[in-house]
Amino acid sequence: MLLKIDGLTKHFGGITALNHIDMYVNQGEMVGLIGPNGAGKTTVFNLITGFLRPNIGKIFFDGYAITGMKPHVIAKLGIGRTFQLNPFFGEFTVLQNILASFYLHPKSNLWDAFFNTHTYRRNEAYILEQATEILVQVGLYKVKDELAKNLPHGYQKMLGMARALATKPKLLLLDEPMGGMSSEEIDFALTAIQKTRQQGITILLIEHRLQIMDFCDRIIVLSFGTKIAEGTIHEIRKKEEVIKAYFGIDHAT
Amino acid sequence: MQNFQQNLSLACRDKIKQPVIYCVLVIILSLLPIVIKSTYVIQIFIIVFVYIIATSSLRTIATSGQVSLGHAGFMSIGAYSAGIMSKLLGWAPWITIPLGAIATSAIAILVGYPFSRLRSIYFSMISLFFGVAILSINSVFAEYTGGSYGLTGIPPMFIGSKIPYYYYFLGLTVFSLLFLYRIESCRIGMSFKAIAQSPQVASSIGINESGYRVLALAVGCFIVGLVGASYAHYNTVLSHSSFNFLASIYLLVYMIVGGIQSFGGPIIGVVILVWVPELFRDLKEFTPYIFVAIILVVVYVMPKGITGLFERVKLWIKMRREGKVITHAS
Repeated sequence: MLLKIDGLTKHFGGITALNHIDMYVNQGEMVGLIGPNGAGKTTVFNLITGFLRPNIGKIFFDGYAITGMKPHVIAKLGIGRTFQLNPFFGEFTVLQNILASFYLHPKSNLWDAFFNTHTYRRNEAYILEQATEILVQVGLYKVKDELAKNLPHGYQKMLGMARALATKPKLLLLDEPMGGMSSEEIDFALTAIQKTRQQGITILLIEHRLQIMDFCDRIIVLSFGTKIAEGTIHEIRKKEEVIKAYFGIDHAT
Repeated sequence: MQNFQQNLSLACRDKIKQPVIYCVLVIILSLLPIVIKSTYVIQIFIIVFVYIIATSSLRTIATSGQVSLGHAGFMSIGAYSAGIMSKLLGWAPWITIPLGAIATSAIAILVGYPFSRLRSIYFSMISLFFGVAILSINSVFAEYTGGSYGLTGIPPMFIGSKIPYYYYFLGLTVFSLLFLYRIESCRIGMSFKAIAQSPQVASSIGINESGYRVLALAVGCFIVGLVGASYAHYNTVLSHSSFNFLASIYLLVYMIVGGIQSFGGPIIGVVILVWVPELFRDLKEFTPYIFVAIILVVVYVMPKGITGLFERVKLWIKMRREGKVITHAS
């Protein structure tokens, strides 16, 4: 088990955003996290990556208890993520975005960087090679010198994913990787995600589109902060609670 | 491999395009005292060097998204600590100047950790209070600092002529600018800029946000402490009012007028604006108002400062030459 979450609870003031969520992600799996707006999906991501601290509950990743750790430490342990909004550094070019994201691999030493030592130069050359590879993989190589903020929306989303891949994560959290994409862009993103999976990276993703849900091994459904269903796409489609949460009570009967 | 190296230098550093030009500039500046005999002009040049170093160090802190409004306060730490050390302990300037810089940097690290929790405008506010508070500490320890009378009788670095000071500060400027340029062009500077643009994304790729904020403050304060301590041994008198809130604001104005985006911005800003108080000598009380007018004009006409204007003109000429119409993509 790569990621394990035990009884995760998060309150925002008087509102309970998440209520005793238990879930797990196995090595090499692709798990979808779905639910209506405000179900607490992004909160789960923020708790896993350390941007928020849970009120109750524990999170284990790769044998470490990561509850309450700082985001940069969790990134170091091997969890990469994308963001729904502002997924990149706007004032950097596409290539610079990826280069900056190679902060951890290989770990650069401040002294080496300042004195421009042989090790540092060799590392930077290696990083550039890797960055080019990632850009080719997600199809952004042709726009590598554009400022990230000037890219079209679909490209920006892909850049967010490329940036997360550059940290060489064991577990990749994708927050609506296809939100607002056109159908061609979706096909392209799908292939990129499939390729990522073939590289052995475990994926946990939030998505509304059912196209991608077909590729998931398992789906977890959240509604108003509670887990209402879990299983393959065929299993959860038949569950009454899921239909209720999405379409209201009338349709369920 | 060769190709990668080239790409790399394009990607993460704006290489100094013509190092020759900069060398020639330094040589011209170092020949200047032979031509100009006026002590007054030499003194102005020294002040320009001091401001260039202080403003450039302020910009380095600003690249990490922290606009400090108390930079003169940090400069006073370097100046006063060097002054007191050499006066009370009788240490030579060559020891007190580095120690002054280290003291400034150490205090920056101490206050940097609590400060690093505050972002953007809140950091500016707390740094403003820090700048004011450090001056009050001066008057509390009036025994050592001279209080509002100022610290007098600091041993000078060189006796007699101002020319050695000129060369000293020229050398210090070259050293500081090379130091700050190196920081900016390597991975450290990239991380500073990454934090400034998006703290969330930066920490999601493993950059220690508060650590780098503190590092930026420590580096900037080391350089400003260095110049502050040197200034103490140059002026031999330190007055309370040279490091007040207004002094911090002036540094900020130099930086904004020159342009925050580019490394040369502070230098251009200082070279253009340092003459303003000299030109309006008779209207000394009104200098702050003149600065306010200048900054309002700059913010409206060229929000990215003078260097930003250069970039725009360059882009415009390039577009004209290629026969393209400028469109704004975003």
